[in-house]
Amino acid sequence: MKILAIETATPASSVALGDGGTLAAMSVRVDRRGHVGFLVPAIEFCFEQTGWDRHDVEAVAVDVGPGPFTGIRAGIATAQAFAAGVGAPLIPISSLTVQALRAATGHRRIWSVVDMRRGQVAAAPFRPLPGGVAPDGTAEVVGPDEFRAMLDADQADTLVVGDWQALPEAMWGGLHRVRLGRPRYPSADVMLEIAAIRAAHGDFTAAEDVRPDYMREPDVQINWKTFRSEGVWP
Amino acid sequence: MTDPLILGIETSCDETGVAVLEGLTVRSFVLASQIEEHARFGGVVPEVAARAHVEAIRPLVHQAVTGAGIHPDQLDAIAVTRGPGLIGALMVGYAFGKALAWTLGKPLYGIDHMEGHLYAPRLEYAAYEPPAIVLLASGGHSEIIHVRAWGDYSTLGTTIDDAAGEAFDKLARFMGLGYPGGPVIDAEAENGNPDAVRFPRALRDRPFDFSFSGLKTSVVTYLEKAKREGTLPSRPDVAASIQEAIVDALVEKTFNAVDETGVTVVGGGGGVLANRRLRVRLREEADRRGIDLFIPSIRMCTDNGAMIAAVAIDRMKNGGAPDGWSFDVDPGMRLDS
Ligand SMILES: [Zn+2]
Repeated sequence: MKILAIETATPASSVALGDGGTLAAMSVRVDRRGHVGFLVPAIEFCFEQTGWDRHDVEAVAVDVGPGPFTGIRAGIATAQAFAAGVGAPLIPISSLTVQALRAATGHRRIWSVVDMRRGQVAAAPFRPLPGGVAPDGTAEVVGPDEFRAMLDADQADTLVVGDWQALPEAMWGGLHRVRLGRPRYPSADVMLEIAAIRAAHGDFTAAEDVRPDYMREPDVQINWKTFRSEGVWP
Repeated sequence: MTDPLILGIETSCDETGVAVLEGLTVRSFVLASQIEEHARFGGVVPEVAARAHVEAIRPLVHQAVTGAGIHPDQLDAIAVTRGPGLIGALMVGYAFGKALAWTLGKPLYGIDHMEGHLYAPRLEYAAYEPPAIVLLASGGHSEIIHVRAWGDYSTLGTTIDDAAGEAFDKLARFMGLGYPGGPVIDAEAENGNPDAVRFPRALRDRPFDFSFSGLKTSVVTYLEKAKREGTLPSRPDVAASIQEAIVDALVEKTFNAVDETGVTVVGGGGGVLANRRLRVRLREEADRRGIDLFIPSIRMCTDNGAMIAAVAIDRMKNGGAPDGWSFDVDPGMRLDS
């Protein structure tokens, strides 16, 4: 089954085309901005490389976050438009899962993190399985102190992947069971593997349910002093 | 040649608007307003706006295409607002429109939102043609534009502080009337006396520019003093007086521009043009001077997809180049050529 995968949930954007989980073409760019300028040329490049027709695509996988909001929205809007244009179903995938799958090696428990800015990361634990990973707890948005406490409480040998460089170096001191590793960002080729398994099971998501996993309320600064209705009239 | 079928998408601020035009005929028109989402904050919150657009865009495009009774393959082009506006909001519509255009193999036209407003009256009035003076007033803009010809514009006047719609919002909030300010002041003013209080009109030395911060200060000062002295007029009287001051400024500057340029056609656009008093006053002034006035219906004054598609029709007719696939949004886009 031919699948298009779109990843814009982090500073690294990528687009990939694959068949049954096997990569056929991929375009990657690392840039915090400009997702909208990158996406369609990247998709076009992948189709040129493979010689496939856009109507050959039977499913569209898209990273729905967590991650920086504007990029996720650009990716979802692009995936939804492409899917609508060719009549293909959608497969939403978490950026945390994509990173964990790429990291899957040996016996270590995996903590996958994504930079949420303002000193926080989204973090989720995964358990390695033969040929994959399984979620081993819920994803949370945490600061360095909370994350340190979570790692301290975790008795397993642990591998932290993702953009852990967003956290202060000092927080890793004395964590002997913890190793820091790759990948730093999710990528579209790994999404193809996940999407191929889901597609084989007919595990698609209705387009209206494909939405960003923000994990954080919008930043709204309300000046309550000026917002309050003034009681001039009784 | 038959009239082209164009899908228009608008997401620059707080309305997700999508429409299908066949030439200048509106085949479908759908809109998701976010007023409810922003009401509790008393103004448009960019992140809230972008979140609402990404939820609305796919179902609205679907509705517009099916509502027009066409298959997407029949479209001749897709037009999307590329700027100016809120970057996160613009990105949703532009990314969606661009990917859809590429997937369907259609040209994509990135449109200036303000030019969309200038074209909007064309969808309702066959006689509306440049040269014209157009008043654009909303929560995000207050401009007087000289349309010399389609595609040839100069901005004669703008606001030096708040947009007209913003002034309505802030004053409505101060008076405890809620959000959005334009409609609530319009309703409150209905039974009020516009001459009850004489608020300042200001900026006499700049014939085409607006300033609303002085009005805001003077309303606040006036109300505090009147309350202290026990001479507070009724709230409808104050609302009508505030509305009159804003409307006076908009009408006066618009017709200053008419006098300056000698045009005989006046148009309007933007949410503030829904204000009933403003529509009456523009009509009176136009009739008095023998000017042809074209103020569209309220749905065509507020942000919508049809006005965006309307610009693309001319662009196609004149052989204008479509946007490249690597184009991005342009939040600071400027209309002046
Ligand atoms: Zn507007």
